[in-house]
Amino acid sequence: MNSHDITVFGYLVFLLAGVVLELLARWTRLRIPSLEAALARAMRTRTGRVGVLVAWAWLGLHFFAR
Amino acid sequence: MILLLIAVFTAISGRPVNGLLLAAVAVCLAWDNARTRRRSVLTAAQPPARLVAARRPRPLAVAAVAAAGLGFAAVVGSFARYSWPATVSVIGLAAVVVAIGWRGPPRSRRDPGELRRRGTSLWAGLLVAAGLWELSALILQPGLDTTSSAHPTISALTDPLLTSHGGRSVVLAVWVAAGWFLVRR
Repeated sequence: MNSHDITVFGYLVFLLAGVVLELLARWTRLRIPSLEAALARAMRTRTGRVGVLVAWAWLGLHFFAR
Repeated sequence: MILLLIAVFTAISGRPVNGLLLAAVAVCLAWDNARTRRRSVLTAAQPPARLVAARRPRPLAVAAVAAAGLGFAAVVGSFARYSWPATVSVIGLAAVVVAIGWRGPPRSRRDPGELRRRGTSLWAGLLVAAGLWELSALILQPGLDTTSSAHPTISALTDPLLTSHGGRSVVLAVWVAAGWFLVRR
């Protein structure tokens, strides 16, 4: 396993962990909020709301805009 | 402050337009916060809480927005990455969505209430850990603009997908859908 594989494996682990957290939140009685609930909570204030939307906007700009 | 730092780093990494846009949002947000704080001190009252009852959106409106989003993804996906048409289109849509979000939720929504700190910290921890992993890959590259096969960033891994019209359109469609989802929260 070279460093490229380890780096990609790390991304996959984080992705899988996110999926597991979401499944635990939706299908078990553990007190874990779903991603939607966590985002809704973060977006209750204007600063949080604009911050999340700017993070989304940044992704589009990063991949497509000069 | 975080937004301003991101704006500075974006600008010095060769994306001056993006940096300017982020800096403008940071300044507007700081100005708006200062104004709101001053007003709440003067009136000794908190801003009114908004919207707690959930309401379903109209199917026709949802279909129209979905069609517009797919059209945007198909057309803008045909432009080369980092070209001026792509830049203007993406910045235009991003600015509109942030401006809509600035005014508050466009429809009534369910109040999530207080969330368990431990459960929420799991999401926050995951986000921070993933960000640090990406940052370590970025730092281990030969340069900020030079990708490395040994330590690929997410941007480097997605480059092959974004070389084709179809790939760009799919990614843009996902991005537009995420924006639509977020702005309605």
